[in-house]
Amino acid sequence: MALAEGRTTTRIRKHGSIAEALGGFRLWWLVLPAFLFFLVFFIAPVMSLFALAFDKPVAGVVSFAGNLTLDNFARIFTRPLYYLAIVRSVGIAAVVAVIALAIGYPLAYVIAKTEHPGRNTLLMILVLSSMQLDTVIRMYGLMVLMGDQGLINGALMSIGLIEKPLPLMYNTFGVVVGLVQIALPFMILSLIGIIKAIHPSLEEAARSLGATRAEAFWRVTLPLSMPGILAGSLLVFALSVSSYVVPALMGGWKVMVLPIHIYQQIAETGRWQFGSAVAVVLFATSLMAVFIYHKAAVRSAGGRT
Amino acid sequence: MSDIRLVNLSKTYGEGNAVSEINLKIGEGEFFSLLGPSGCGKSTTLRMIAGFIKPSAGQILIGSDDVTALPPEKRDIGIVFQNYAIFPHMNVAENIAFGLKLRKRNKNEITWRVTEALKQVGLAGYGERYQRQLSGGEQQRVALARVLVTEPRILLLDEPLSALDKGLREEMKFWIKDLQKNLGITTVYVTHDQDEALTMSDRIGVMSKSKIVQIGTPQEIYERPKTLFVTSFIGHSNMLDVTILGQDANGVTVDLNGQELKTRASSSVTPGGAAKLVLRPENVLIGAALGDGDSRLSATVLSETYQGPIVRYRLKVGEQEIVAERQNQAHVERFSPGTVVTIGWDPEWSEALVA
Repeated sequence: MALAEGRTTTRIRKHGSIAEALGGFRLWWLVLPAFLFFLVFFIAPVMSLFALAFDKPVAGVVSFAGNLTLDNFARIFTRPLYYLAIVRSVGIAAVVAVIALAIGYPLAYVIAKTEHPGRNTLLMILVLSSMQLDTVIRMYGLMVLMGDQGLINGALMSIGLIEKPLPLMYNTFGVVVGLVQIALPFMILSLIGIIKAIHPSLEEAARSLGATRAEAFWRVTLPLSMPGILAGSLLVFALSVSSYVVPALMGGWKVMVLPIHIYQQIAETGRWQFGSAVAVVLFATSLMAVFIYHKAAVRSAGGRT
Repeated sequence: MSDIRLVNLSKTYGEGNAVSEINLKIGEGEFFSLLGPSGCGKSTTLRMIAGFIKPSAGQILIGSDDVTALPPEKRDIGIVFQNYAIFPHMNVAENIAFGLKLRKRNKNEITWRVTEALKQVGLAGYGERYQRQLSGGEQQRVALARVLVTEPRILLLDEPLSALDKGLREEMKFWIKDLQKNLGITTVYVTHDQDEALTMSDRIGVMSKSKIVQIGTPQEIYERPKTLFVTSFIGHSNMLDVTILGQDANGVTVDLNGQELKTRASSSVTPGGAAKLVLRPENVLIGAALGDGDSRLSATVLSETYQGPIVRYRLKVGEQEIVAERQNQAHVERFSPGTVVTIGWDPEWSEALVA
C-alpha cells in the first residue's frame, strides 16, 4: 500500500502543473507580490548587467550599446590574473565549506540531540546571535584579533614565543577564517533539522546489532545526515564564492578572488562591460561547481538526496 | 539461548523512581511480557536490559554473564522497536546484512543467511526494496529478520504491534508467538495491551508505578489478580463494596448489603474492615445457570445490551451495580429491564481484595 501511495505522489509531481500544486488559480495572487519584486529588483538588473558582458568594452559606459562581442570573456580566459582568480575563488569556497562542515557538524549534532529544552534554546541563541551583526562589523572584530598588532600577535610577542607578528590576515588564511565565521551558522542551521529528524531508535538499532558508537555514527547517522550536509555545504559555498566584503577586509586586496575583480573593474576603473563578464563567469562557475558537487554527493549517498 | 536475571534493578531520575528494585528471573526460551500502563517503567526496564539506559542500582545477568556494565553492542541481544527502525538508506537485504557485516562474516555466508532470513519471515524476494516501499507489517518482519539473523541470546520486543492496524495486529500476534516458539528464544515483550500479553506470553509481569506488582501465567493474572490494580488493569471486573466478617481456612466471609457471602482471599484480611469483592462479569450467573454451592442473591435488571456473541446485563443489588455477561448461545434465557432475578457466582471465582 505504501508503495502504491508513493507512486501516486510521484505521478502528481511529474505531470501536475505548478498551478495544480498551488491548489488552483486563486493562490497565484499570493505568489505575485514576491514574484514581481524579484522580477523588477533582482532579475531585471542582474540580467541587464549580464547583457553588458557581451557588449564592446567602453570605459564609463553603463548602458547596453548592442555591439555584441566575446572579447571580455576571451580576456578573462587568456590572462592568468583572471583565470587564476576563478580557481582561487572556487578553491577558497570549497575549503570554507569543508571546514564549516567539519566544525559545524559536531555542534549541530549536540544541539539536535540535546533534549533539555533550556540548554537547547541557549545553544540556538548562541548560533543565531552571531548572525545579528553585520559582516563588516564582524570582520573589523576579527581584524582586532588577527592583525599584526592584534590580540593574538600581541600576546604571543609579549610572552616571547615569536619575534615577528604571524601573518594571520591580509592573506588567504585570513579570508578563510573570515568566511568560515560568516558561514558557520548557516551550516549549523542546515544540519540541525536533518539530524533531529533521524529517529534515535535507528542508532539504537545499530548498537543492538553490534555496532559501536562510532560504527553506528558512520554507518547510520552520517549517511542519513547527507541531505543536510549537501544543503549546508552548497549554501556555504554559494555565500563564500560570492562574498566581497570578507576578501576585501580580511584579504586586504591581496587575495584576488572574482568579486574583488568585479568591484575593481566597475567601481575603480569604470569598465562595466568587463566587470560584468567577470560576474557572469563567477555565476556560471558557481552554478557548475554546485551542479558537480550535487551529482557527486547524490551518487555517494546511493541515489538519495 | 539464555535466561535473564534482574537483581534489585532500579533506575532513578532526579527525585523520582522510574524502576524500583525489580527482581525477576526469565527462564530459557520463555516468552515473558512486561505489562502495564504508560509510565509504569516497563520500557525503562527493557531499555536497561538492552543497555541503552544505565541502571542506578542492581544487576542484569544474561545467562551466566553479568552484562550490567556492558554497552549494547557487547550484550548479544536483539531488539525490535515500536517504529521498527528500518535503516531508510539501506534496502531490505542490506538492513538484514547489517549485523552480519559488523561480525565480519564472509560475503557468501551473508548472502545465504539474508536469503534464509527473508524466507523465514515470509518476505522472499523483498531484498531490493527500501523501507518506504514496505507496509507496517512488512517492516516489522524485516526488523525481526534483521535481529534473528545475528542469532542473539535474547529477543527484546518494545510494543512491536502498537503501530499496526487491528487486523494485522491479530495476525502478527500469533505469527510472532509461533516464530518465538520455533526458535525457542528467550523473549521479553513490553506492551500496554492486555490482549497481546494474555495471548502470547508464558508469563506476565504486571507493572505499576515503577514496580512489578504481580508475576504469573496469563491464567493466574486473569483469574487470580492479587491487587485491585491488576484487577482493574486486566479485563473488566465488578468491584463491590463489602465488609469483612471473618476468615477461616476455606476463605473469607463478607457482608454485601446485609447478605453473607463466602469468597476467596489470597491475602489476609482484617475482620470488620472494608474490602472490594472482585469478580469478572462472565462469572456472574443469572437464574437457571446457577449451580449448587453458588452464592445467591436477588437483583433487578437495569439494562440489557446486545453485543453479538455476548449479551451484557447491568444489574442492581441493593445500592450497587453488577455487570454480568452471558454467551449468546442457543436456548439462553434473556431478561428484560425491570425483571427481578436471582444472580450468583461460584465463591471460588470471587475474591476479597483490600485497597
